[in-house]
Amino acid sequence: MNDILTRSLVSSRTFKPETLTALLVLLGAVLMMLAMKVLNPGFGSVQQIAAILTTSIFLVVAAYGQGLVILLGGIDLSIGVVMSIAGMMIAGLTNGSNEALTWALPVTLISCTAIGLLNGLGIAFLKIPPFIMTLANGTAFFGVALGVTAGSSQRTVAPALQVLMSAQIGGIPVPIGLIGCFLVAGSLLQSRTTEGRKLYAIGSSLAAARVVGLPIEALTIAAYGVSGLCAGIAGLLLAGYSSSATLDMGDPFLMPTIAAVVIGGACVTGGRGLYFGTFAGAIFLSALSTIITVLSLSQGWRNIIQGGIIIIALILQTKQWYLLSIVNRQLPGKQSLDGVLPQNSEV
Amino acid sequence: MSQSTRGQRRPIPSSAFAALLYGIMFAIYLLYSPSAISLAGITDLLNNTIVLAIAAAGLTLVILTAELDLSSVGVIAVTNVIVATVSTKVPGGAFITLILVCLIGLLVGLINGWLVAFLGLQSLAATLGTMIACQGVALLILEAPGGEVAAFIMNRLTDTVFGFMPVAGLILLLAVAGWLLFRRSRLGIAIYAVGTDALAARLSGLNVKATKWLAFGLAGMAYGLAGYMLGAQTGTGDPRISNSFLLYVFAAVAIGGTPLGGGRGGVIGSVVGAGILTVMQKLLFAVGVAEFYTNIFNGVIMIVAILFGNLSAILSLRQKATMSQHRGGQLVPN
Amino acid sequence: MDSSAPILQATNLHKRYGATTALDEVSFSLYPGEVCGLLGENGAGKSTLVKVLSGIVIPDAGEIILDRLPYHPRNILDAKAAGLSTAFQELSLIPTLSVAVNLFLPKPKVNALRLVSMRSLEEEASAILNQYGITGVSPSALIGDLPLAARQRIEIVRAMLQNPRVLLLDEPTAALSEREWLFGLVDGLIARGTSILYVTHRLDEVRRLCKRCIMLRNGKKVLEASTAGMTDDDVFSKMAGRSVVESYPVRESSINDSAPPVLEVRHISAARVNEISFAVRRGEVLGVVALEGQGQSALFKALVGLTPLKQGHLVVDGKRVVIRSPRAARVAGLVLVPEERKSEGIFNDLSTAANISIPIINQAASFDFIRGKRERRLVERGAALVDLHSRYLPPNIDALSGGNQQKAILARSLLTEPKCLLLFDPTRGVDVGTKYNIYRVIRTFVREGGAALFYSTELDELVHLCDRCIVIYRGTVVAEVSEKELSPHVLLSLAAGHASEATQSMITANSRNGTSR
Repeated sequence: MNDILTRSLVSSRTFKPETLTALLVLLGAVLMMLAMKVLNPGFGSVQQIAAILTTSIFLVVAAYGQGLVILLGGIDLSIGVVMSIAGMMIAGLTNGSNEALTWALPVTLISCTAIGLLNGLGIAFLKIPPFIMTLANGTAFFGVALGVTAGSSQRTVAPALQVLMSAQIGGIPVPIGLIGCFLVAGSLLQSRTTEGRKLYAIGSSLAAARVVGLPIEALTIAAYGVSGLCAGIAGLLLAGYSSSATLDMGDPFLMPTIAAVVIGGACVTGGRGLYFGTFAGAIFLSALSTIITVLSLSQGWRNIIQGGIIIIALILQTKQWYLLSIVNRQLPGKQSLDGVLPQNSEV
Repeated sequence: MSQSTRGQRRPIPSSAFAALLYGIMFAIYLLYSPSAISLAGITDLLNNTIVLAIAAAGLTLVILTAELDLSSVGVIAVTNVIVATVSTKVPGGAFITLILVCLIGLLVGLINGWLVAFLGLQSLAATLGTMIACQGVALLILEAPGGEVAAFIMNRLTDTVFGFMPVAGLILLLAVAGWLLFRRSRLGIAIYAVGTDALAARLSGLNVKATKWLAFGLAGMAYGLAGYMLGAQTGTGDPRISNSFLLYVFAAVAIGGTPLGGGRGGVIGSVVGAGILTVMQKLLFAVGVAEFYTNIFNGVIMIVAILFGNLSAILSLRQKATMSQHRGGQLVPN
Repeated sequence: MDSSAPILQATNLHKRYGATTALDEVSFSLYPGEVCGLLGENGAGKSTLVKVLSGIVIPDAGEIILDRLPYHPRNILDAKAAGLSTAFQELSLIPTLSVAVNLFLPKPKVNALRLVSMRSLEEEASAILNQYGITGVSPSALIGDLPLAARQRIEIVRAMLQNPRVLLLDEPTAALSEREWLFGLVDGLIARGTSILYVTHRLDEVRRLCKRCIMLRNGKKVLEASTAGMTDDDVFSKMAGRSVVESYPVRESSINDSAPPVLEVRHISAARVNEISFAVRRGEVLGVVALEGQGQSALFKALVGLTPLKQGHLVVDGKRVVIRSPRAARVAGLVLVPEERKSEGIFNDLSTAANISIPIINQAASFDFIRGKRERRLVERGAALVDLHSRYLPPNIDALSGGNQQKAILARSLLTEPKCLLLFDPTRGVDVGTKYNIYRVIRTFVREGGAALFYSTELDELVHLCDRCIVIYRGTVVAEVSEKELSPHVLLSLAAGHASEATQSMITANSRNGTSR
């Protein structure tokens, strides 16, 4: 019975392995920046750290939606396009002034949510695989946006948004405060609400969720809707930060949202993962991105590093439980029947 | 109505529906572009189809094992830029580049296969990672579209041979012939077995991991070849990745009657599916549909392709592998 | 043939999965030319032992000597090369490939081009099918198109093909309606010196074929003896660890006929279900007995709305209900404890507590936020109902044994306050102690006014737990057996469709015979 007690300690709320992963990722980000500082003493000023945290907000917000969707066992490949659409919409509707903001803001966000809901509908009712549905939907709406804007991309954004992204309260940039609030709110929503709990269940076992009678279709549509909404918010913030909008401004963020979720320890097949982990992943990637820029690495290297990080994070994830078991000197709790790696390698 | 040469009996293969659809599309296209039936027209059509067809053929192998592979566009980018940079610089460049791209494609594919089969990573995420990394490598080789493909490749491979056979057509015929043979090999049979029921395959003594690994490897080699042919078609190298093309590769497989769940379908259907998508694009162009609709079309067609694939699977009266029928305890329920 | 030295010797085989010890220092010997039975209840470790011997599972510890050589198979091919072949209980045939291809997997014969010639493969297959007396099966037929009995035969024949020294037959007669075919083959094999390890839970087969048998219970070997002179009672008490009478709670009828039946099923038809009608009364446990594949799984799925009804309707507590989804079923008071615990029952990424609370999690929440204390109280209430210790609640449910997982699923079902529990083989893969627990829970539930529909593959369970039994054959109810007539023999013959014969035996049989068959 000793292993049951130890295992319960391991699995209790305060010591979830996912929390440990998230903390490790944050530590990794700090170590990375320290290493950079050693190589390049000019690096690492307070302003730079503040900038890293500020610019992490786009990923922090957008990756939340991706995280919800991945929790269900799906994926959202339309996030980049939706971010761009949000940016273009708010810029086009406000056209450099604050007047239209009060109605332009909700219209933009509702549109983005609608794109997400459309994703959810196709996935839940037409049973189209998520990566296809979201990729196809995103491509289609990109086409719509291309047509509507007739290709011209530069736009100016309402000043209020720009102020939001650059203001400071008590010396701390507003966005940094916002990411803190978002972390708390997002974590509560994902882990402490009934809907969040049901998302975990559906992602863990779709068949069992059916037998128990969980509202699978409704929650699927809602999750993708939220993902669209988050992408929309991130797009707005990005437009405010850049003071302009282009039709491809969201593209560089799509893969990092997936990377953030995976680095943060969430299982890509669903059912496991904390938002805190995704948050840590977003911070990590933001720091990495800044370092890459400082090192003047070309776009090619950027891609290679990004791809490599996703793969390394996936590999480390499968080792997650083994690491913990070594710490606890227990048999891994997620062993498949043959004692090999869990989850995907059943045979 | 058994076709015992295949060891599988089925009333109507779903690739037959794809062939029917192709016939219809081609007929409509012919109405708008009567020159399509000429040798030049057919050569042109086949040239437009071949890159997608080869890529889709490769992807089919992976999907048959019930895995996914997003890396096709990444490998195509890498091999395409290599053709555009190396083929003119080396004597016998065309041939050497061909070997090179096949090896590179094979290497990437085997890495994918290793990640998925031996390390147990989820295939969607893992191949997404390799796709991005591949694009990075492509950008390192060639920062922007450019380069130059050896004249030999560009001219001879898009031309006809023996006076009447388009080279692209010949390649496709070889691919189809190769597939018909491969299907009867031990690896080919193993791929179908693993995709249908990996556990039963293992209990039957098949090496599931090695089968998947090799499937990914062969797919990668196909992608490499597709990148080479892309060089032949465009004459330049492009390190960028097209989301639309990725959608098309999956659409071709889906239309051709290979469900994403694995275990059923085949390369022939995917090649026909690639043909359908190409004709459709040319048809839209011939009809005069505005360019900006293309993206919307690409997105919608993918969804329609999946639905069509599901429909044709039902219509061809294929029984789904009913696992519950032979699982469980002594009095096993259905 | 040196029959004094064992052909297969296993020493201290040990295998653990997390909290469960599947094999606990199991040692045994198998001699040339003998058929040795391997007995044990579900969850005793039989299938793990088969997997270890077949090379599918690597044991944590232990040694095996096969044919005087150390035997460490890492896969099926290693096992076959060493001379050990297995016919698996979970059939290892690929449904979308033909009989011929399946017979020769994994390495069908190839020609000079390294390609398989289907025609020659099918010719060879034809010869083999004839040789082994399998008629009516074409070598080019797809496995998935064949009935289960034919597939089981092919599975068995495939294992025999390479003349193994040791043959493992895992529940080979599960799907067979006519067993003499197999018995004939077995006799032929042992005459040639092959040794057979015959895994079954059917005592009459053990008597017919095996001179010796081994029995596992809770992963340990509890018996290795000759079958002559063993009574059924001996065997059963060794398997269950206690005599029959003690295993089952005393059944006092709590049937309440004054209220309308809790569940009335009227002429329902669905996929594989042909016009079924029955009623479950308040306080009653209604048993369902059937051979495999007779539509019982389809029936249970249709009752909770997992599959649509083509005709007919349900009446719960006197009111007609339309059930289109498991959610609607739950609202109407019908809850399913499903067949496949691992894939349909548990949420294996969640804690046990979360597994228990999930259907009623809204009750533990205010404004959608889950209140920790309220959830804990709910879960503890559920756990108490099934006697699940609270230390099992925080860990991940996949750290628990099969029995405890099943208790958690029961707790979850009970918390939804159902009117009728639909239990599909709830004690499969569950250890004996927990089974007893589950029986008690079910009887308590019906005593307090609930009702239960109980499907099981263990005839003894049905006999001892149920007030009545309905027999399903080919998707319809072919018989109903009242309490007085309940006996394993009656149930089995009715299930196999020999209705008239069973009526005869009902008349001549005494009151319930207990364990004897």
